Amino acid sequence: MSKLTQRKSMDYIKKQYRETRKMPGSWYLSNYKYKYNITHLQPFLKKLKEKKLVGLKCSGCNTVYYPPRFVCGKCLVKPNRWVDLRETGKVSTFAIAYLKDPETGEIQEKPMVLVHHDGADTASIAQLNPEVDFKDTYIGMPIKAHWAENPVGGLMDVEYYDLMKDDAKDLDLPED
Amino acid sequence: MDKVGIVGFYQVKLYSDANYGRYEMIFEAVRGAIDSAGLKKKDITTAISCTNDYYDGRTISNCYTVEVGGGYMADESKVEMDGAHAVLYGLMRILSGNHKLSLVWGGSMASCFPYHAARLYETDPTWERPVAYVNDITAAGFQMRAYLEKYGVSIEDIAKIAVKNRKNASRNPLALQEAQNANITVKDVLDSEIYADPVTELMVAQPCDGVAALLLAPEKQALKITDNPVWITGVGYNQETYYLGDRDLTKSMSMELAGKMAFDAAGIKDPKKEIDLAEFFEAYAHEEVIFSEALGLVDMGEGTNLNSEIDGDIPINPSGGAIGGNPPCGTGLIRIIEAAKQLKGEADGYQVKDAKKAIASGQIGMCAQNNIVYILEGGN
Ligand SMILES: [Zn+2]
Repeated sequence: MSKLTQRKSMDYIKKQYRETRKMPGSWYLSNYKYKYNITHLQPFLKKLKEKKLVGLKCSGCNTVYYPPRFVCGKCLVKPNRWVDLRETGKVSTFAIAYLKDPETGEIQEKPMVLVHHDGADTASIAQLNPEVDFKDTYIGMPIKAHWAENPVGGLMDVEYYDLMKDDAKDLDLPED
Repeated sequence: MDKVGIVGFYQVKLYSDANYGRYEMIFEAVRGAIDSAGLKKKDITTAISCTNDYYDGRTISNCYTVEVGGGYMADESKVEMDGAHAVLYGLMRILSGNHKLSLVWGGSMASCFPYHAARLYETDPTWERPVAYVNDITAAGFQMRAYLEKYGVSIEDIAKIAVKNRKNASRNPLALQEAQNANITVKDVLDSEIYADPVTELMVAQPCDGVAALLLAPEKQALKITDNPVWITGVGYNQETYYLGDRDLTKSMSMELAGKMAFDAAGIKDPKKEIDLAEFFEAYAHEEVIFSEALGLVDMGEGTNLNSEIDGDIPINPSGGAIGGNPPCGTGLIRIIEAAKQLKGEADGYQVKDAKKAIASGQIGMCAQNNIVYILEGGN
C-alpha cells in the first residue's frame, strides 16, 4: 500500500463539506406513450364485454396464462389457445397497503391481492371490494369477479373481486 | 472458471442524507480503492460503473462520472442493475484476457429522489398499473405473507432477522447510522411503522446514500499487486419471470439456479458444510431466509431456524447486510466487499472466525427477480 498517495487523496476527502448546496430540480419524463399491440388480445377483450373470462394457453407447456400473455417465457412462443375460465378464484397472497389521500391526508387501509383464477396457472394483481374488511382477508380466500355495470371490453371491466362464502371446512387431522 | 483476484476495495460511510455531493462520494470510493491497492490511475485498464439514470436525475448518467469514476480516456461502460452485476461485467473483461486491472464502482444517493415511488413504475403499464398501485414494498408484502403461510412461520421469526442484521450493523462502522442498533428487540421491529402489512419499516433495507468500488485483476497480476488477494472462484446469475403472479413467491428459483451455477464453477458440492459465511442483498428481512433456503444453506422452510449470528452455524450478513444500509446500485457490490473483508480477516468488530469460503449476492427487481451469486475464497 502506498501511504503517500493515500494520505494525499484522503486529506482531500476527509475535509468537512460544511456547505452542500441542494438544487431543487426535476427530471420530468411523465409524457410517455406505452405502446401495446392488442390485436392478439381481441378474443379476450370481446369476451370481457360479455362478462366472460378467457385465459391463453401455451401449446408448448400447457400453462394457462391469465391475464393472457403475449409470449410464454418458458417456451419462447406465442401462446395461442384460448380457454374459458371461471370467474371465481382464490387469493393466492396479499399485502395490506396504506394509501394516503393527497388532499385530506386520510390514510386508507387497502388489501392488495394476487388473484388466482380457477382454471388458470398464473395469478394477477387485483383489488378486493372496498367493502371487504381487510382483517378478513386470508390466503386461499374464495373470491369472484365483480363486473362493471356496462363492460366496455377493457381490463377494468372486472372492477374488483367480491368475497364468496367459504363453506370449506378445515380438515380434522389426527394429532400425533 | 479461472480465478480472478479482488485486489482492492473501498466503501464510503453510508448516510441517509449525506452532506456531500455525488462527485465527491464517487471519488472517495474510487480513489480509496486504488489507494488500498497502492496503484495509480494509469493502472486501470477498464472501468465499469453501476448507476441509474433515474436515480442520478440525468440521462446517460455515466457521462458525467467519467473524471471521478476513473473512466477518463479509459475503456469505460455502465451497468444499470445492481453493483454486483457490474462486478460480473468487470470480471468478464478480466476473463477475456484483455485487461489487467478492472475498476468497478456503483452507488447512488437515495436522499435525492423518492426511491419507493420510483419503483411504482416497475409494474406493467398495461396490465398492472391501471388495476392497483404496487411497488417493491407491496410486492415484498405479497412474498412475505406467502412464505409465512406456506411454512407456518411467525412474523416474529422474520423480525428476528431484522434484529440480527441491525445488531450486526451496530458493529460495522460503515453501516447506516439509522440501521445501527445494538439493543433492538423483536418488539421494536414489529411496532415500527407498517409499510405493507406484514412488512414493517425496520424489516426494510432503507435506501440511502453511498458508493463503493472494487478492483479486479487476473491471477498472476493479482499476486503482483498484493500478497493476500481474495479470489472469485465462481459466479452464477439467473432471472425469473417478470409477473409476480407467474412465480411461486415462497421460494426463489432464480437464486437457486444462480447458486447452482456458482457452486458448479467453484467446485462446491455441499454448501452447508463448505460455506463459512454469506453476505446477501436482502432488500427485506424475509428475503434473507428465502435466499439461504434457495442456496441450500438450510432446508426449505427451515430458514428462520438457522443460527446465522456472527458466531453461529453459518453467519449471514455479519456486516448487517442490506438492512445495514442500501444505497441503490451499490448494495450488492458492498456485499462482495464485506465478504472479502471477512476472508482477509479485516472485518474489525464483526469478524467471523476462520472464514475461508464465502457467498456474496446481489439482486434486482421485485421480490428479487434477478439474482447474482459469487463464491469468494481467501488465501493464496
Ligand atoms: Zn410455454
